[in-house]
Amino acid sequence: MGKTLFEKIWESHIVVEKQNEPDLIYIDRHLVHEVTSPQAFDGLRMNNRKVRRPDLTIATMDHNVPTSDRSLPILDQTSAVQIKTLENNCKDFGIKLFDINSPNQGIVHVIGPQLGITLPGSTIVCGDSHTSTHGAFGALALGIGTSEVEHVLASQTLWLEKPKTFEVRVEGKRKNPHAVTAKDIILSIIKNIGTAGGTGTVIEYRGEGIRDLSMDQRMTICNMSIEGGARAGLVAPDQKTFDYLRGREYTPKNYDSLVDSWKDTLKTDSDATFDKQFILDINDIAPQVSWGTNPEMTCNVDEPIPSSDEFSNGNANQKKGAEKALEYMDLESGTMIEDIKIDRVFIGSCTNARLEDLIEASKIVQGQKVASNVKAMVVPGSQMVKKQAEEMGLDKIFIDANFEWRAAGCSMCLGMNPDILSPGERCASTSNRNFEGRQGNGGRTHLVSPVMAAAAAINGHFVDVRKLDLN
Amino acid sequence: MKGNIIKYARDNIDTDVIIPGQYLKVHDYTELATHAMEGLDPDFHSKVKEGDFILSGKNFGCGSSREHAPIALSHCGVKAILALSFARIFYRNSVDGAFLLPIEIDQDAYDGISEGDEIDIDVSKNEIKNITKNQTYKMKPFSEIIGKIIAAGGLFMYKPDQD
Repeated sequence: MGKTLFEKIWESHIVVEKQNEPDLIYIDRHLVHEVTSPQAFDGLRMNNRKVRRPDLTIATMDHNVPTSDRSLPILDQTSAVQIKTLENNCKDFGIKLFDINSPNQGIVHVIGPQLGITLPGSTIVCGDSHTSTHGAFGALALGIGTSEVEHVLASQTLWLEKPKTFEVRVEGKRKNPHAVTAKDIILSIIKNIGTAGGTGTVIEYRGEGIRDLSMDQRMTICNMSIEGGARAGLVAPDQKTFDYLRGREYTPKNYDSLVDSWKDTLKTDSDATFDKQFILDINDIAPQVSWGTNPEMTCNVDEPIPSSDEFSNGNANQKKGAEKALEYMDLESGTMIEDIKIDRVFIGSCTNARLEDLIEASKIVQGQKVASNVKAMVVPGSQMVKKQAEEMGLDKIFIDANFEWRAAGCSMCLGMNPDILSPGERCASTSNRNFEGRQGNGGRTHLVSPVMAAAAAINGHFVDVRKLDLN
Repeated sequence: MKGNIIKYARDNIDTDVIIPGQYLKVHDYTELATHAMEGLDPDFHSKVKEGDFILSGKNFGCGSSREHAPIALSHCGVKAILALSFARIFYRNSVDGAFLLPIEIDQDAYDGISEGDEIDIDVSKNEIKNITKNQTYKMKPFSEIIGKIIAAGGLFMYKPDQD
């Protein structure tokens, strides 16, 4: 019987395999950031261990770096300590670090692909759940905890239980691909499968609706695999993948011969079967807006917020969850999404802060002004994205419209640096999680695409971007 | 293993409410623990005592991979989480550092066990006894792999069986 792409990558990385034991899997790339690594390095020191493969380990600082003026000292002392600790750890253990002043600094999942560090068919781990982003290149990319970070630093391997396989097939063509985006596809998938729908699986995204997407868009899809509960998500590499990675700073020298071998091997065999399947038809899908406190609490922009009964389908805990969510979000069922007013807009995060996201959002912003009651910011995913955007004049478009134009980092996605919501503030956010307090204690998050966020900034409330001229 | 239950009758308790992002800069576990569950239940610290168990619904620990979540709970004295299901990274983090036991329960146990009940968990028999109500429920056995990591005392203590 044939094999899936995931099974092929898994099997080619097994170091030790025994019945009724986990598999010991070799890790090709280990990405490290300041928040989930300090205890791991402490553990190495305590046990007098070295980093097994510093050459396969790359670090940057993204979670708590300030996105305001980088020439100023970091005011938050605990952040400053954590950043300094990563610098010291990288120096002590011989790890390449893109620090706060590096032109390559940025969100770890944005810089990996941009630098050609993320490669098809490889295994990638990082102490961050959105490591799944790298799956867009046909890599098996897993988010791990700090104990596992230490284990990989020490051994370049991990003991893992083999996940099940899950085919998510995206069929059809979007009528207006500038208005209905990759973010709307992945939010639609999660709305249907639920936040635990992919638990214990690796998703392979397949079908015409995925093949049509650019690499930036495929990254948005794979990024949110974890929001559907999956261990990872991946897309088989194709010509778009190979073209994207060619000629980047860390792309291997023998790249063309690697591409030749990948073309033959890195795909799911036609007779392979998956443990689970979900099919989404995107011919008629609408822009999505989350209304609740987890990503499956999402509806179409032209719909009213569902009642807790409609949402829960008779499940008591689901009903209670929806009621609590509506209370936290200060929303009532039946309210039309377009009638929800917002206070803040955040265009950023590893989900939607790549160049294409900023280009698409800028088309809506050009020549307009942010609504007077709204504070809006753009936080590019990396310093390189920032520079490329500035070369195209996008910074000017956003600044002229009264957006703040910031330096790269995770920023308001998770509220670790000064970029946070105040209690009660409502934000249209291009990030990945609308959990209670995620963007700041008491803050209210609505997950949307970059174009939806930009349109909300200009209008002061959500609008259906299909009504706008985006071409 | 005996303890009392703190029950959160809801699904999808995420790691951002277990330990909000602003505290991920805190390096000291004892201090970290003072912020556990801050995003969900301001009364948690007045309730929790050494040896307690938390009981909750589906998909416990979803979201961020922060190991700070099981660490913060274990440093409050929580020895086990009983839930209808777990998000995988939280599940694995809990056993990798031997912080606490993630125990999957069925609907009978979820419905039958109330806040404050005294529970006796017998992992060897995959059994949960409710001492307060004199009821017994089944727990889902650990997979062989997870069972071995738990028995070894965490990821760094684990060695595969020798032939």
